[in-house]
Amino acid sequence: MSISMALFSAPASFSPCTSHSQTPKPLFNLRPKRPQFNLLIAASGDSGGAAVAVSVTEEQPMAEAANGSVAAAPAPIAEEEKEAEVVLNTFKDPRWVNGTWELKQFEKDGKTNWDAVIDAEARRRKWLQDNPESSSNENPVVFHTSIIPWWAWMKRYHLPEAELLNGRAAMIGFFMAYLVDSLTGAGLVDQMGNFFCKSLLFVAVVGVLLIRKNEDIESVKKLIEETTLYDKQWQASWLDENKKD
Amino acid sequence: MSSESALSAHLLSSLFLSVLETMASVVLKTFAGLRRSSDNSHQFPVQKPAKVHFRKARIVASRTCPKLSNRNLRVAVIGGGPAGGSAAETLAKGGVETILIERKLDNCKPCGGAIPLCMVGEFNLPLDIIDRKVTKMKMISPSNVAVDIGRTLKPYEYIGMVRREILDAYLRDRAAENGAKVINGLFMKMDMPKVQNAPYVLHYTEYTGTKGGVGEKKTVEVDAVIGADGANSKVAKSINAGDYEYAIAFQERIKIPDEKMAYYENLAEMYVGDDVSPDFYGWVFPKCDHVAVGTGTVTHKGDIKKFQLATLNRAKDKILGGQIIRVEAHPIPEHPRPRRLSGRVALVGDAAGYVTKCSGEGIYFAAKSGRMCAEAIVEGSENGKRMVDESDLRKYLKKWDKTYWPTYKVLDVLQKVFYRSNPAKEAFVEMCADEYVQKMTFDSYLYKTVTPGNPLDDLKLAFNTIGSLVRANALRREMEKLSS
Repeated sequence: MSISMALFSAPASFSPCTSHSQTPKPLFNLRPKRPQFNLLIAASGDSGGAAVAVSVTEEQPMAEAANGSVAAAPAPIAEEEKEAEVVLNTFKDPRWVNGTWELKQFEKDGKTNWDAVIDAEARRRKWLQDNPESSSNENPVVFHTSIIPWWAWMKRYHLPEAELLNGRAAMIGFFMAYLVDSLTGAGLVDQMGNFFCKSLLFVAVVGVLLIRKNEDIESVKKLIEETTLYDKQWQASWLDENKKD
Repeated sequence: MSSESALSAHLLSSLFLSVLETMASVVLKTFAGLRRSSDNSHQFPVQKPAKVHFRKARIVASRTCPKLSNRNLRVAVIGGGPAGGSAAETLAKGGVETILIERKLDNCKPCGGAIPLCMVGEFNLPLDIIDRKVTKMKMISPSNVAVDIGRTLKPYEYIGMVRREILDAYLRDRAAENGAKVINGLFMKMDMPKVQNAPYVLHYTEYTGTKGGVGEKKTVEVDAVIGADGANSKVAKSINAGDYEYAIAFQERIKIPDEKMAYYENLAEMYVGDDVSPDFYGWVFPKCDHVAVGTGTVTHKGDIKKFQLATLNRAKDKILGGQIIRVEAHPIPEHPRPRRLSGRVALVGDAAGYVTKCSGEGIYFAAKSGRMCAEAIVEGSENGKRMVDESDLRKYLKKWDKTYWPTYKVLDVLQKVFYRSNPAKEAFVEMCADEYVQKMTFDSYLYKTVTPGNPLDDLKLAFNTIGSLVRANALRREMEKLSS
């Protein structure tokens, strides 16, 4: 309990370094993954009685709501503890101001360091995934990922993968061109003129785009099945008409 | 799932969206095509443009629809919710002898209770059954990004929040006023007819009003049955309609302090996230003097309590100090049953499975399908003068599929694309901030038509959607790197 309290206070002073986009090993990830859920379930299970002593009292007000007629005794204790704890339990970051990332704080050499913004947002989402917070009207979250310009996303995610895929396509292309040339004697220019070769080229390009890992073959098959499942369910009444009589 | 697969999923779906109408017409040609092939082999009446000629042809064919002598057509509607009430009213108005069997006349069915604007007009609902007019909605993403939607609504547009017991009773009473006989009873089973135009024999238990009484067993003979008895339909079981996948919707009604209730004056909230539901959403809907907080799921029904706690947690700031006054749950169908029609028995509403994906809306479609089915019976029986047969009832299915399949399909695609995963849900909420999206969404929800928008705007929307999905998935990859 006290360890978790100590860890709760860590994020308040923790400021990720902005000088390099290396993601520092976040201290608070050492905290057990879902302490609040287990205690949550315990709190509502015991009708608020035994679970009051637990430090994660962020859940207590919710437990009050959940057990409307619970005894008033746990409530005052819970309120005080809640006041102290709620400050530590929410997401805290000096650059997160008024529900969005303050881009001025990400500046490096006069320009915004978009990679750091992306890292910061990823960390915030990870935090929220592990510690779901209540959405509040006083501190609404207004961050929109489109404030990060499209070229920053491209540079970081699209370009490395594009390099990989283009490399694969080039290798496959060269090898297939050589193979077809050796089998049929048609050089590259003649191959391009042939419809069959063009369609093979199309298949190769689509294949490289869609199938990047072995698992992708299965997921493409499942996708195709998924897109037609709903239609089949609707048409079932009509198939029945053909079958009977 | 990699962002690229999500990308291709989305490309597929935007393709769907842009060619939906041609698709609808192609698919429905298939429906008609199937029908015609069976027609040729079994000499059923073919598609008729003008009723008069084919009436004569039918008599000549002599297989169907004898004129009923000295009585009107008798139809039983099982279930007295929106579907049953509107079906019974339409039947009674059409001159058909109608009985409506409802097991609990004061039933407060667990329900979101939201009705679109068009329902008020189409069903002539008095405005006093609407407790609240919701004109704003707040969508909250997994990372608590909150987006307000409703800016594009015109002053007379709203989503009506009703209490089911009030709405159902109103529709039933109106049916009774028009001549339907409302019976408080529980339908048990039905005996199928042994010969061509023999009646169905329905066995039910009538509650005569003495409290605690077990009720007396009764039977009644009817010519046709409309099954409007909801998700656990007994009528569906009687005709071996088959099963459907269903979601469990779990809801707690919470009375919150007045100052917090003021926030929900005309605002409803939707929470998306894997903590709240892996394949649906959590909601806070304002009711007459309290809010309903709930969530639902198809794939992880066992964890519904956990999802409910997460929903309460996410809304905690706004419902703090509230008291739970009621806990309720109900199944919601996910898709239509394999067989919605058999002989002269048709299913409507939840019994047929007419709940949309993505939003889980069912009241309007229940009432509309009840009305459509009743209209088909009234028309096929020429205001109750003739016997009906399965082909008359099939007309209701055809009309229903043709009118509403695009709506259902679009919502299905939206659910598949945007409820897939947390990144998709983040992208969903981001997209909702766009005004064009809000306008399209509300127009299609309030008026139940899939209107094709401006193609240029659609293209921009497609790009923005892909952009949002790609960014959200990229952030998820970063998150995964952090945890490893």
